Amino acid sequence: METSHTPPKTLHYIGIFVALAVLTGIEIAASTAIAGSALRVVLLLGLAVSKATLVALYYMHLRYDSRMFAVIFLIPVVFFIGFVLALAFS
Amino acid sequence: MDNRKIGVWLFIASEVIFFAGLISAYLLYVQGGRVEKPVHAMSVPLVGLNTFILIVSSLMMVLAFASVQRGSQRGLRLFLFLTMVFGLLFLGGQAYEFATLFREGITPTTSLFGTAFFTLTGFHGAHVAVGVLWILAVLIKSLSGRYSPANPIPIEVVGLYWHFVDIVWIMLFTIIYLL
Repeated sequence: METSHTPPKTLHYIGIFVALAVLTGIEIAASTAIAGSALRVVLLLGLAVSKATLVALYYMHLRYDSRMFAVIFLIPVVFFIGFVLALAFS
Repeated sequence: MDNRKIGVWLFIASEVIFFAGLISAYLLYVQGGRVEKPVHAMSVPLVGLNTFILIVSSLMMVLAFASVQRGSQRGLRLFLFLTMVFGLLFLGGQAYEFATLFREGITPTTSLFGTAFFTLTGFHGAHVAVGVLWILAVLIKSLSGRYSPANPIPIEVVGLYWHFVDIVWIMLFTIIYLL
């Protein structure tokens, strides 16, 4: 099922790059500014997942491409989250 | 829907599971507190710069794809070349980091941390190296003008692989160096 969205233009790609660079800077600053706590882990993982999502949606075009590709990609990601949760609570 | 795209997405799905196993093992041993992370020997600024370099390479890759979509052969070759250059810079940074850790006595065989760390980052580096070779092959083929708005899929497919390798590093940077 192809969507009708128009793929992004060059300026859009550069905007995503700026967002990724800024988020990386925030990650590094937060890792040193916030002492070890659950909030720190949640914040840093949230920033990493946000960056990964931006790359997948806009650079890999999942936002504009067939939803089947998103499903193919997300199924093993769910398994991965399952691995980590199983280990965390084992 | 192009079969080459379905194929590369299925391959990426298998790679997610591959890295999921390695990351889970790292989390179990290192973040689980079974071994101590040698924080003194790990340079976040250096690896942060390397992360930035890989993000720049992803921008170059997507600009290569945008170039082929609008029929710019010159743009395609330039941005493929720059993607490769930034990929090689990343590998150079990783080699420098590995050499620094070796000098500190941290190797794949000296500790559980070393085994988990070098297995995870080493396999990622190998994926970057394979990506650089793939881009080089595509760049050489592009010299004959075979890629065009009517035939952009080979560029999109190598781009999907490259961006996936970038996503893996984005997660590794946080899990290994920042947490």
